[in-house]
Formats: sequence, C-alpha cells, structure tokens
Amino acid sequence: MVSALTVDHIRTLMGRKNSIRNISVVAHVDHGKSTLTDSLVQRAGIISAAKAGDARFMDTRKDEQERGITIKSTAISLYAPMEEEDVKEIKQPVDGTEFLINLIDSPGHVDFSSEVTAALRVTDGALVVVDTIDGVCVQTETVLRQALTERIKPIVVINKVDRAILELQIDKEEVYQTFARHVESVNVVISTYTDESIGDVQVYPNKGTVAFASAIQGWAFTIRQFANRYSKKFGVDRNKMMDRLWGDHFFNPKTKKWSKSATDADGKPLERAFNTFILDPIFRIYSSVTNGRKEELFELLPKLGVELKGDERDLVDKPLLKTVMRKFLPAADALLEMIVLHLPSPATAQAYRAETLYEGPADDEAFTAIKNCDSDAGLMLYVSKMVPTSDKGRFYAFGRVFSGTVKSGQKVRIQGPNYVPGKKDDLFIKNIQRTVLMMGRSTEAIDDCPAGNIIGLVGVDQFLVKSGTLTTIESAHNMKVMKFSVSPVVQVAVDVKNAADLPKLVEGLKRLSKSDPLVQTTISPSGEHIVACTGELHLEICLKDLGEDHAGIPIKVSPPVVSYRETCTAASSQVALAKSPNKHNRIYLTAEPMDEELALAIEDGKINAGDDFKARARILADEYGWDVTDARKIWCFGPDGTGPNLVVDQTKAVQYLHEIKDHIVSSFQEASGNGPMLGEQMRAIRFNLQDVTLHPDAIHRGIGQVGPAMRRATFAAMLLAEPALMEPVFSVEIACHESGIGGIYSVLNRKRGQVISEIQRPGTPQFFIKAYLPVNESFGFTTELRQATGGQAFPQMVFDHWQTMPGDPLDPTSKPGVLVVEGRKRRGMKENAPTWEEFYDRL
Amino acid sequence: MLHLIGLGLSDPTDVTVKGLEIIKKCKRVYLEAYTSILMAASTESLEEFYGCKVLLADRELVESGSEEILEGADKDCDVAFLVVGDPFGATTHTDLVLRAREKNIEVNIVHNASVMNAVGCTGLQLYNFGQTVSMVFFTETWRPDSFYDKIKENRRIGLHTLVLLDIKVKEQTLQNLLRGNDIYEPPRFMSIEQAAEQLIEVQENRKEKNYEADTPCIAVSRLGSPRQVIRAGTLKEMAEYESGEPLHSLIILGHRIHDLESDYFMQWAFNKDTLKKSLEDDQKYTYE
Repeated sequence: MVSALTVDHIRTLMGRKNSIRNISVVAHVDHGKSTLTDSLVQRAGIISAAKAGDARFMDTRKDEQERGITIKSTAISLYAPMEEEDVKEIKQPVDGTEFLINLIDSPGHVDFSSEVTAALRVTDGALVVVDTIDGVCVQTETVLRQALTERIKPIVVINKVDRAILELQIDKEEVYQTFARHVESVNVVISTYTDESIGDVQVYPNKGTVAFASAIQGWAFTIRQFANRYSKKFGVDRNKMMDRLWGDHFFNPKTKKWSKSATDADGKPLERAFNTFILDPIFRIYSSVTNGRKEELFELLPKLGVELKGDERDLVDKPLLKTVMRKFLPAADALLEMIVLHLPSPATAQAYRAETLYEGPADDEAFTAIKNCDSDAGLMLYVSKMVPTSDKGRFYAFGRVFSGTVKSGQKVRIQGPNYVPGKKDDLFIKNIQRTVLMMGRSTEAIDDCPAGNIIGLVGVDQFLVKSGTLTTIESAHNMKVMKFSVSPVVQVAVDVKNAADLPKLVEGLKRLSKSDPLVQTTISPSGEHIVACTGELHLEICLKDLGEDHAGIPIKVSPPVVSYRETCTAASSQVALAKSPNKHNRIYLTAEPMDEELALAIEDGKINAGDDFKARARILADEYGWDVTDARKIWCFGPDGTGPNLVVDQTKAVQYLHEIKDHIVSSFQEASGNGPMLGEQMRAIRFNLQDVTLHPDAIHRGIGQVGPAMRRATFAAMLLAEPALMEPVFSVEIACHESGIGGIYSVLNRKRGQVISEIQRPGTPQFFIKAYLPVNESFGFTTELRQATGGQAFPQMVFDHWQTMPGDPLDPTSKPGVLVVEGRKRRGMKENAPTWEEFYDRL
Repeated sequence: MLHLIGLGLSDPTDVTVKGLEIIKKCKRVYLEAYTSILMAASTESLEEFYGCKVLLADRELVESGSEEILEGADKDCDVAFLVVGDPFGATTHTDLVLRAREKNIEVNIVHNASVMNAVGCTGLQLYNFGQTVSMVFFTETWRPDSFYDKIKENRRIGLHTLVLLDIKVKEQTLQNLLRGNDIYEPPRFMSIEQAAEQLIEVQENRKEKNYEADTPCIAVSRLGSPRQVIRAGTLKEMAEYESGEPLHSLIILGHRIHDLESDYFMQWAFNKDTLKKSLEDDQKYTYE
C-alpha cells in the first residue's frame, strides 16, 4: 500500500511527460469498470483496502450509486512506483521509476456513450473491460471503434473470472477457450482499423496486453507476472516463458519437457501450460475455500508466497477467498503494470495523434507544439466536457493540456466550435481563474498544469457551451470537434407547473445543456422548450437533473416524441422556380435523392465540407458515381454547413453569380434545417441550381431578396420530388435465456421490430438477439420486454440508421401523413402540410 | 386608377402641383418608405400638407402585399403610390405597374426630380454620365464588387459614375426574415467615408486599371435640402471626410472633364491644388 500522494508530489510527476499515462476505462454496461477502477483507486491510498470492491468511488452521484451504473465519467490521478527492472522493458522513453496515471472511468450504457467520447479525447490509452460470461458486446465494440478512430491504444481486462469458476463450474480448458475467444473477438474489431501511424494495436495475452481479473474480489493477473515467477524456477528467459504460458504450449511433468502437441509420446493428453501453471493454483484456492478444506489451503499458500496474518486465518468462504486472492494476485499490481508498460505516454501518443486532433495545417506553431507535447510552447488545451461544481450553476471545464502550461490567472483565447481563425465569432479572451485536479468526488487546487495532463478549469464555463479549444497562440486553429457515435433522436417538450418559474426553467435548460455533451435543448417555432436525448434512460436522467438540480422546480413533461427527417425519393418532376420579393431575381432549382452511402459518409465526416474540393470531387466520382464537373461545383452542405444535403451549381455563365452565393448558402442552411413538412431537418437530398436571373445592381439582389427566393425554391423543388419522411431506427441487442425467446419475438412483432440475428452462446442456454426497432416504438419497450420474459431480458438500444417510411406524407390518411398532421398540430403550425404550389412562382 | 407620384427630393412641398391635386382626390395614399426617405419630412408633416391620411408602405407590403395596395383600383377608386424622387428614377416600381396591368387597372405617372438628374447641381453635365451603380454595406462574408466593372466601363470612355449609397430603412436579419418574425434592425445609411473606403478596398483587391485612391470625386450630401453640401476631392480625401447626416451620393469623375465642369465644382474642393493635380493626372491616365 502506498500512502496518499501530496499535491506537490503529483505536480512534480506532472512535469515528466514520459512518466504520465492518460487512460479511459471503457466497457459494455455492467462489465465491472467502476469496480475495477476502485481497486486501482485503492492503490493510490484514497479509500481503504477493505472497502474496495463495493465502494464505487468513481460513481460520484447518488443515483449512480443507487442504480449501480455509471452516468457521468469521472477522473482521478493515480500514483504508480515501478520496479527498476520493469521500467527497463518500456519501449518508449522513460523518466524515472515513478509514474502518474490519469484515469477516467466512463459509463457503459449506450445512452451515455457521449461521455465515453469525451473521455477518449483526453486520454491516450483505453482499458477495455470484457465480462468473461457475456464476452464482447455491442457497447464493447462501439467504444473500441471509437477509441481506434481517435488513435487510442487499447489493452484488455477480462473480468469476472470468479463467476466462471464459481457459477459456471467450467473446467480449466473451457476457461482457457473462453478467454481465447474473447481475445479473438477484440482483435477482430481492432484488425478492421489498421492504422500505420499507431502500429499494431491488437492485444496478446503472451505479450502482457491482456489481464484476467475479478474486480469484485480485488485480484487480477497478467501472463507476464506468472512468467516472472516461473522464469526463475525454470531458469528460462521471461519473454520465452510468456510465450509458453499462452496458446498451444504443453508441459510434460514426467519428462519435464515442453511440447507443442497436446499429447505425449504415448498419446496421453497433456495439460496446457496456461492451465497447469496459472489456472491450477487459482482453481485449487477456490476449491479448497468453497469446500471448507482450510488445511489444504494453508499448505498451498506458502508455496504461492502468500502469508495470512492472525485473524485473517479465521475467515471463511468469500471473505477468506477475497483476502487470499488479493494477497496472491493484487489487482492493482497487474493493472498498473499493464498500463505503465504498454500504454503510450502523452509524449509518445501526441506524436501520432496530433494530426487527428488538430484542424489546422500540419506545420504551424500549434501543430508542432502538440506533436512535441511541449510544455514550454504556447498553450493548446481542449475542453471536452463540463463538470458541475458544488456551486450551483457553475462548471469546471474539464480537458487536457496538449501543449504549453495552463496557469491560474493566465489570459487565454477561448475558441468555441464555430470559431474560424482570423475572425472574431465564438472567441473570447479571458483569464482562467483557477486550475484544479479532478479527484473523483473532490478537487485539489493546483497552480499550473503542463502539457500531457488532464485538468479542471474554473472561470471559463460561461464562455463555452459544451466544449472548445483554449490557446495562447493567436494563429491557432481549433482542436477537432468530437464526433459522437449516438444521436439525440428522442425528445420531449418541458414546461413549468407554475408560470412564475419560467426564468428558472430557461436557466436550468442552459445548465443542463452545458453539463451533458450530447443533450440538445432548443425552443421550437411554437415556443416549446425541447429536450432531445439519445434514449429513454438518458432522457430520464436528464429530466431528473433538470427538475431536481439545474432548474430546481417542478416541471411538466410531454410524452416523448421522435425527431424525423424530411427527404425525397425521386427527381423533381419539373424545375422549381422562385422569385425574390422584388421579382427582379429568379432561382431555378431541382431536387433529387442522394445515395444513402453518401449521406452516411457525410454524417460520419468522411466527406466533409472542409475537404479540398478537388480531392473530394475525385472521391465523389470514384466511389459515389458522381459527375466530376458536378462534384467540383458543390456550393454547400446543409444544415449547419455540414449536414447531409448538398447544393450543386449547374448554372452556365450567369453574371454576378458569385455575389449571391453567400446568400444562397445561408438561406439553404435555414431551409434544410427546417423542412416544409414538419419543420424537421432535411436529409439525403441533392439540390441542383439550374439557372438564376439577377438584377444587375447589387442593391436589388441582397440577402433580403435572394434569401427568401432560395428558401421557396428549396421547398418547391423538394416537394416536387416525391417527398417522404425518415424515421430513426434503433439497433437493439437483447441477451436472454432460451425460455424468454418467445416473449421477445412477440414483443418485437408488436412493435414493428425486425430480427436480424439470433445467436446462441456456445455451450450455454444464453441467446443473443439483434433486431431493428423504430425509435417511435421504443418507449416502454424495456418494460414490456421484461414482462414478456419474466424479467430476464435486458435490451441495449442505440441509434442505428434513418429509414424512409412508405407512404406520402402529404396525404393525411397515410401513416407518415398522420405523423405530419400530429407533428404540425403539436408545433402550432398550420395543420395541413403545404404543397409545392405554395412555394412556386409562375413566370 | 393607380397613380404613381414622384415626391421630389426633400420637403413635403417638393411635390408637383399636379401630383398634389391627385393626392387630394385619392381614396388611399401609400408612401413607399424603404428604398429612400424624404429627408425633411415625416409622415405627419405630409399628412398635414396633403390634408389626408398617408399609409406607410414597407418592403413587405410593396413586394408581397400588392393585392392590398391595388384593391378596388380597377373600379372607380383612386389609389396614390408616392415615391421619393421620381417613380422611374433610381428605384423603379415596374413590378407594381405590371401587376396593375394584369388586373386591368389604369396607371398614371406623375414625374418629379430624382437624384439621377439633380446631380446636375454639381456642374457635371448629365450627358457625360455612364451607368449608375449602387454601393451596398459590405458584411464579413458578402463583399460584392461587380460595380467595379461598371465603373471601369464608364471610365474607359471618360464618363462619370454616379454611386448611390445603400440605405437600410427597415431590414430584417435572414433568420428573422425566413422565420417570419417581425423583428427589424435599426435603420442604417451609408456615409461618404464608408463608400470611399469600400471603393478603395475593392481597387486594392482587383488591382486593375480603373480608378485609384487619388482619382477625383464629388460628394453630394442631402441633395435638394436646405442643408445640401457638395465637396470635391480625391477618393482618399473622401475616405477621411465627415459627411454628416444622410442621404449621400458619390460621383467618380470621368477623365474627359469639360473646362466648364471643373470651373464649376472647383469652388467645393477640399484643396484646390491637389484636386487640380489629380484632375491633370487623371487625364493622362491611359486605358488599354
């Protein structure tokens, strides 16, 4: 046990950029991240050893502790002194034997995966926790993919090994096979993301990048640790020993020889080395304790180097098991060793992460500073999220220093996501009031914080909405904006119960929006306050926070509704013509559907508004079958300048055209963000500007003239192109005992669900069902599912795709038509959706 | 019948006798109040002078609400539509006339003075003016410079260019406009200094043979009002000139200046020597 660290000591370590490891702990919900993290926190001396295992130190909120799930990610700094001998094995520059680990525990439930995104951004390594029983689940894959796109190196912990031994009662070889299968599943995901700059990031138990653990009992091991023990005994090199302790290596106790075949010379089966040397002692401890054969245990322990003190010898059952296993294989040792040895320091990681982190050119001052993780260069700091302080309504800006040193009182440029270099939008120049270390539930003041560390800032929260870049370099571009893997597709309207509380609600919504990376709070055209979330659970938590905390008033909540998208399914049946209010300018426009693949590529940022237009045109031509001339003449993306709708200039020799481009672009943002049918965003529509007639004098073709004309033309062109509604669809993963399958199918059928796959876990009656479920049908799905399966089935739902709904939305009797009429009524719009004639001007 | 009546430049009394008589017998009188303003008159003073109610017609009413303006005019109801300057001067209301014709409404025009002819007061001969251009308020992203080519065409054949300066009487932001919110920005009028700065900026960007910072210009402020001021000088001098209250126009001189013209405007020079020199230099200017 190491005693608690002083802040001064931490500050010294923070200055050694080769001695820092920034890591996120990520996993599927309930795979034991928080418990595992607790055993690490115990090591830093913040909570006592006795409580590790059930303290959930990292779950700082009351509801987190009650529900036993993590909702917000939490950061903590840990201290890891290493042996000289171990440090020698680190394949990157080192600076002494003391290490500082900044660790972020993040939620596993899909609804909160934006928290994971924010955590990954500020870390360089990811500790991926996989449940021995459940294996690699949907969220494990999602977070792993997110980590790899951010160039974050994964290491794996296979957790809950105790359950495999105690509950499943499977034999050693089966345990080995289970482990091997999980490692393989992880590597399958990793192998689809080969990235030369970061190298091979697959995980290998025999290289020490996989640990096996029981977080709840506080123990864990890596093969390297066992190889250490045995290499002395056998007089073999440790690395050679590590290779022998995983995979098809067998030891013949009679001949004392190693072989690669599972049988000896006489054809008798041999036991796998992993089973003999690693699993066997563990199994023996378990069986002797659970069968109450203490003598056997006390005989075994000295051989394993475990010594029990006086009253510890009187323990029985689980407490005894826990004490013994913890002394034998302390979890923190294995995990800290794995983190320090195999994860990159900020100095190493930023060299290859700089280009994925920074928006600006790869040779400017800011980029070079990030790449070198230079604490003497100008400051580059990314704020990834806001953490509420005890002072109501104020937040710590939580982020990572990528270069320079951030200090209390320092004057910095605060650049929001819409900041453009050289302009003044979304830019503040302010002082940082204080810098603090985030320590789970508490914070510690610190004077400054050099590059490579994670930090909390006081006094910048009112200048940033959710995230942003802080810098002292005037020419600096922004750090890249985070891409979230989930979208806020479920929304409700909230209102106050007492009219006098309205200002509190407005303020509360502002705070809510700040405190969560993904929640969206907006005001609808009819004046309703809308809260949009990723799923039912996220919504529930957000509304609870809003009511109890951020606003602190009783609120009324409308039934949840889903956001839709407006699209078209054919090319416009005629050219849409719209005139400017003064009639001197005319716009001729057509609409046509865009390939789903292209719309997805735009949403994923693969095809980007900021790309070089020639390179983008090449990709559009080669991969999406576009005409190169058209592809080079994309005027804009919309809405928000990045959305999946395009305006293509197909005009020929129009004078003054460049002077109205800006008006067309801004008007299109507005039009594509508020479609004609429901006021929802448009999606996957390509608009072709066919021709334009303009007044010869600029004063008669200002934005007040061209803007409204473009909006009318956009709506008319779209409504002339067989418009349709798209609804969001969840991908649902349900784990269940086979007896519950009938119930699952009947619920899915009732809810327009569509089963994609049904897989049985080998050797168990456990089934995995994957299905698509329209978000609109998902409300109450969890409850119904539990009822239909006797409480066994637990679904994980995450937004998957947009699906075009059959039927004409302009026909009020069709299904989408009913939605349009209802939606318009709710939003206080005219009940019947407009037809194209309303936006079309005759010649 | 629809009467389009020019109000002249400044005072309520600038209206013609013919125009006034028509106004007095009209059932409804609209004042077009967004493309220009009558500097020395308010709606109230007009009402008092005409002895009848005057309805303000903003952009929205004229461009989208012509039905309302034209209502009943096809029968025996007379409607007057008052336009600052001349109905077919700087701002043309041809669209309204076209719509009236569609409805078989007779249209009567009463002319008046417009900036387009009143600039003759500078001593420049109206015969020597080329295409008129407008100068809009530049925004961060919208800096249209197509006027540059028109000035170039004028200058190449030695003609003067009348530059009309942007006025925003009742403008909306795009968002408010598209969402139909009735929120308007405060009125803005471009000053001589700003117009000159924008002209210089575009010249510096385009760097073509056209005008330069020392090209001679004439600034006309509050034309036709008792506080009318005319000043002559180089474009650079204009950029530093405090032109005061609106409205303003700027003339970029052509190089074929008649002696009589220069004799006339020389009295308003900021600095006679520099102006003379810049006039001489400009005449030597060669155009390919």
